[in-house]
Amino acid sequence: MILATYDLWGFVSENQAELLEGLLNTLKVSAIAIAGAFVIGAILGAARAHRIPVVSQLTVVYVEVIRNTPILVQIFFIFYALPQLGIVFDQFTVAWLSVMIWGGAFNSENFRAGFEAVPYRYREAGYALGFSRFATFLNVTLPIGGRISIPSSINTYISVLKNTSLMYVIGYAELTTTSLNISNLTLETKESLTVLAVTYLSLVWGLSALIRFAESRLALPESR
Amino acid sequence: MPAWVEPVARYVLFEGLPGTLRVSAIAVVGSALIGVLLGTLMTVDFLPLRWLIRLYIEVFRGLPILVTVFIVYIGLPSVSRSLEFDPLAAATIALVLWGSAQVAEATRGAVQSIPREQHEAASALGFGWVGRHGFVILPQALRRLLPPFVSLLVNIVQNSTLAQVIGGLEVLEAGERQNERLTAIPPIGLGEIHAFEIFGGVLVIFFVISFPLTRLAAVLEKRLARAGFG
Repeated sequence: MILATYDLWGFVSENQAELLEGLLNTLKVSAIAIAGAFVIGAILGAARAHRIPVVSQLTVVYVEVIRNTPILVQIFFIFYALPQLGIVFDQFTVAWLSVMIWGGAFNSENFRAGFEAVPYRYREAGYALGFSRFATFLNVTLPIGGRISIPSSINTYISVLKNTSLMYVIGYAELTTTSLNISNLTLETKESLTVLAVTYLSLVWGLSALIRFAESRLALPESR
Repeated sequence: MPAWVEPVARYVLFEGLPGTLRVSAIAVVGSALIGVLLGTLMTVDFLPLRWLIRLYIEVFRGLPILVTVFIVYIGLPSVSRSLEFDPLAAATIALVLWGSAQVAEATRGAVQSIPREQHEAASALGFGWVGRHGFVILPQALRRLLPPFVSLLVNIVQNSTLAQVIGGLEVLEAGERQNERLTAIPPIGLGEIHAFEIFGGVLVIFFVISFPLTRLAAVLEKRLARAGFG
């Protein structure tokens, strides 16, 4: 018999340590994946924008495969299918790796759009000043195009954070897994779901506020 | 082809795929109807209503869809026994909550992008609020909403796999059940692992559905931009 009680504070204080560790694991996995997605996105986005042969085509394949298949199936594939080929990862590795691969694909599109928005005459000006192609990218395209792609890439990072909740299916003890596992034992379903909703919404809304802040502070002077 | 392939493929395509398609179809239609209604109401000059819809949008776009799935599947029944749904229905409801929030946001933008004069001209012809939006504003706004609708369809088809987490029989769950069956020791299963082929096949199924749709969305987007709507 489930009693019609609702004791959010009791749920949180009794399971404080576990919930906090779950939250930290969520943040840890997200941070690693976001950092990775940033690097992958910047490099592959640059390769796409500059039409670097082979790398550019491979990036298109990578992006299309990731964009057109569900991330949940990608997680299943990495966790259950790759071991058949002798490639075995532990849960923590699958957790950050799968969302990093996913985020990297979307982020390379964000960066490509940003880099392509930089007018060609800016790059020409760089070459005219004697910069090499690479130096022109570092000093002209990256600072300008990178700033253009900030809002859309933060959107991708928010999705990365939300997608870490999918690690429930591989049993990695991030926030969703931790909170739901506790309520499976104690039947405090409502309390557990409240904790999840409040925590994720605070994180997501906080990051969204960051987008608006970044948009106003980092926007290019001329578009302000 | 090895003998195990045929029954696995049959199960995934004839038991799993219909689940995926049914959830997706209902979720897309539900999201579109509720989303367009909410998005249009967002443009009404009545602050409490706007705040309420804004809250709905921010909550269901902000939550991981998996959490929404659990709220519908285990949260609602813990509040009232009459709110119990089977896994596929629960996943569909969660997808509609998320999808309608997405559509509402897009619709608000599309409706607001229709010039004031269109509203004024419709009013001058004697249309009320409903007629003005139903016959004049929305038909123009929908044109702009077509590419986001196609993207929504792709996202909903992919996110319908979340039903697997609560045991709903769709493509991924069908593949997972077959994977477990084959792995089981004989005589129940084969004692063989075919996870790579099975989950690889599931990836291919989704790619085959999604890829043409993402191409279509890109084409529609371009056509719209060329028509001067970008």
